Amino acid sequence: MNELFGSSRVARGLVSSMAWLCYIFLVVPSLIVIPISFGNPGQIEFPPRQFSLELYRQFFTDAAWWGSTVQSLIVACLTTLATLVLAVPAAYALARSRLPGRGGLQGLFMMPMLVPVIVLGLGLYLQYSNWGLLDTTAGLVLAHVMLTTPYIMVSVMSGLQHSDVALETVASIMGASRLRIFFRVVLPQLKISIAVGALFAFLMSLDEVVVAYFLTGTDTMTLPVKMYSSIRWELTPVLAAVSTLLTVLSLMIALGIIAMQGKTEASK
Amino acid sequence: MAQSSSASDLSPWTALLLLAPLTAVMLLILIYPLGLTVWTSLYNGRFSFDAYVELASSTLFLRVLRNTFEIAIGGTLVSLLFGYPVALHLAAQPPRKRTAYLIMVMLPFWTSILVKSFALVAVFGNQGLINQFLGFVSGGTLNVPMMFNRVGVILGMINFLLPFMILSILGSLLALDRRLILAAETMGAGPLRIFWKITLPLSLPGVLAGVLINVTLSIGMYITPALLGGRQDMMVANLVDFYTRQTLDWTAASATAVALLILSGLLVALLGKVRGSAGLAGAGA
Amino acid sequence: MTASSTPAMVELQGVAKRYGEVNALHRVDLSIAKGEFVTLLGPSGSGKTTLLNLIAGMITPSSGRIVIDGRDATTLPTNRRGLGMVFQNYALMPHMTVFENIAFPLEVRRLSKAEIKRKVGEALELIQLGHVANRKPRELSGGQQQRISLARCIVYNPALILMDEPLGALDKKLREQMQLEIKRLHAELGITMLYVTHDQDEALTMSDRIVLMNGGRIEQQGTPDTLYFRPETVFSAEFIGSSNLIPGTVEIGADGAYALNTALGRFAAPAPERAIKAGERAVLLVRPENMALADAATPASVAGHIEDSILLGGVVRHFVRCADGSSLIIQELNQPGRSGAHRGEAVRAAWQPQHGRLLPPAPAG
Repeated sequence: MNELFGSSRVARGLVSSMAWLCYIFLVVPSLIVIPISFGNPGQIEFPPRQFSLELYRQFFTDAAWWGSTVQSLIVACLTTLATLVLAVPAAYALARSRLPGRGGLQGLFMMPMLVPVIVLGLGLYLQYSNWGLLDTTAGLVLAHVMLTTPYIMVSVMSGLQHSDVALETVASIMGASRLRIFFRVVLPQLKISIAVGALFAFLMSLDEVVVAYFLTGTDTMTLPVKMYSSIRWELTPVLAAVSTLLTVLSLMIALGIIAMQGKTEASK
Repeated sequence: MAQSSSASDLSPWTALLLLAPLTAVMLLILIYPLGLTVWTSLYNGRFSFDAYVELASSTLFLRVLRNTFEIAIGGTLVSLLFGYPVALHLAAQPPRKRTAYLIMVMLPFWTSILVKSFALVAVFGNQGLINQFLGFVSGGTLNVPMMFNRVGVILGMINFLLPFMILSILGSLLALDRRLILAAETMGAGPLRIFWKITLPLSLPGVLAGVLINVTLSIGMYITPALLGGRQDMMVANLVDFYTRQTLDWTAASATAVALLILSGLLVALLGKVRGSAGLAGAGA
Repeated sequence: MTASSTPAMVELQGVAKRYGEVNALHRVDLSIAKGEFVTLLGPSGSGKTTLLNLIAGMITPSSGRIVIDGRDATTLPTNRRGLGMVFQNYALMPHMTVFENIAFPLEVRRLSKAEIKRKVGEALELIQLGHVANRKPRELSGGQQQRISLARCIVYNPALILMDEPLGALDKKLREQMQLEIKRLHAELGITMLYVTHDQDEALTMSDRIVLMNGGRIEQQGTPDTLYFRPETVFSAEFIGSSNLIPGTVEIGADGAYALNTALGRFAAPAPERAIKAGERAVLLVRPENMALADAATPASVAGHIEDSILLGGVVRHFVRCADGSSLIIQELNQPGRSGAHRGEAVRAAWQPQHGRLLPPAPAG
């Protein structure tokens, strides 16, 4: 089967054992938190020697954990909505106009992806401390809007590239206004790209830690920041329950994205 | 067909109207803070390059810079060493099976870096799975410290870097014409010779891109060294945080951040040269 | 239905379109009467699509004026021109059902729900596709999709329907069926239609008037008969129908009778419509169906030998190689018991001199 390194049994054995070592190394950290989370509430233990839901009880009843989770969900939802409202029309304008300097604007919108987050974290920290935006939900959401814009941009721009311009032309000839064309013709075609971009942005915001670490305080602490300080200072077993919940949510979102991307490919 | 269907084109004013809000947000929340950082590094009561001069002569900064390069390059090399066989293994699978394996490869990509860090401590820590096993086998005498030191950082790093390396190499392996290998084999070439003469050279573009992506990603790494490294493993990003929060020296923090920005900008530009602007995704992590 | 008596639906006055240095369309004047079916015919790059896009408002002219239904529409946005358009790739909204697709232009015009329902029903009835109202376009065949896209135009009664190679994506049989269907709808509804195609047969079948385009200009316009029987240029003659073209020099006798001196001999011909002087170069056009195989020398005939004969069902085509190496096509009706011509057989290609037509020579290049 394998022509890439000839049909030697030794070579094949070596390659596949190294590969399997990596698969295990890649998968185990994401999954091992699940059994730990149902185990001993007193210490982090694997394999677990008892079954208990105590860690989940602790998570849901501890105001610090539960509060930061709710805060993260709120920030992620607001970020996703705001980024969609700002980025979808902008992507549409980039794709359907001949403004000079479009390339520059596109570069500006993609730039957060290319700058080390720590640099953005520091810059925003300096800026927000002058502007009184530190430890505010609005400030964090704004920062996350900036961070998630490239991902929604990429998704929507590729959706626009695959959508049929003739449909917009024909709608225009039939007398439809720009606004009606956008809502009745363009948006329905972008449904999936927008959903994929939105899920990605949601997950990015939910998992984002560096910028949130710089910008939040006790009032606005998000779940990743809480996890970060917990891993750093106390390493409590509750982390296993939090990690399990977060991983399950991430995987559901990932599956959602993959399923939807599959759908767009099937319909082409 | 309409070659130039400008009926679907927006008027310049409409386009500007749609672009203005996002542009404003990006100028305010991206360009302004970056500019402010540069400004802070240069202006402290008066305009000077003092912060950079101090940085260049600071033993702390130089040590952190060396750490950063050592860890980034070390992590990248380990990631290449293990990533290449994985890519080979994936390339050899029939498509359906490959998809299944790829899900395993992509799993860390979707998992929160904090979850992974926590789990790595649970696996490789002093009371972790591996040391429990070693202790059991050796009767309690053997305990290998693998966390909160250089090994820990590299482990965390490659867990994050491997998917990028693997996908990059896999891309060029899948593009490789397999008949070349078949031909070499019928001419009597052994597996090693085939690998050195055909597979490896033809996959080098993927390797190069993978290496550059890995170095770019790891150079700005903050969470992994903070959580899995020891005091000696501070990287540039951690130094920025250190100056900001511990010593409250915003000028030094800004100068360090600008140095990191320039370094990472150069790498991104190099990467862009190697493989176009695609595949830069996530380079800021 | 000729243009002269009825008022114009579309009037182009000196309309031109340049892209930088390139002239996509030279100054064009064109008038389309209410209810007329006009076809823009020409090879790709001849400017027919540019002309269509100018009328649709997808591009604005570099100069000139466009009047639609009595209104100056030169700079009017596309959505205010009151047009309909049918595309080659149907351009149906994939996320809407057939019903919603047809209802869309009515919705734009803010008709009541009940009225929309009634009108969509009528339109579907007209194209005999009432039973697919609730399906999505992609569940339908290409021919059905194109009929839906026609219904979507007809339903709101636009001043003018533009059709951009609407049948190009369909196979031959379906195409012929759809040609008749479009013709029927045109006759029943009396809507003005501007049809773009590069297919001469389609143009001849459907049009009241054909506008033949070449190199960004109107080469010739007229009824299908005019274009076929009275082409004014070599380009027209070659683009529509097949033709035998014999180049030579014009001679005018004392009685004013025209003749052409060619490498194959001297042939009498009717006087050309646009005067050609004696001694000028010209081309003699004889349609293949006006030529016949003859045994003996007749006034207008050329000797040669049969190179090939092909059977096209109702007609037979002979390819005759002449003495000077040029080749002529003869088309005869295929009759039962027709004596076959054999390859290599010496024959004469003959025609009635009044069927010949003198044309100015094709421009160099």
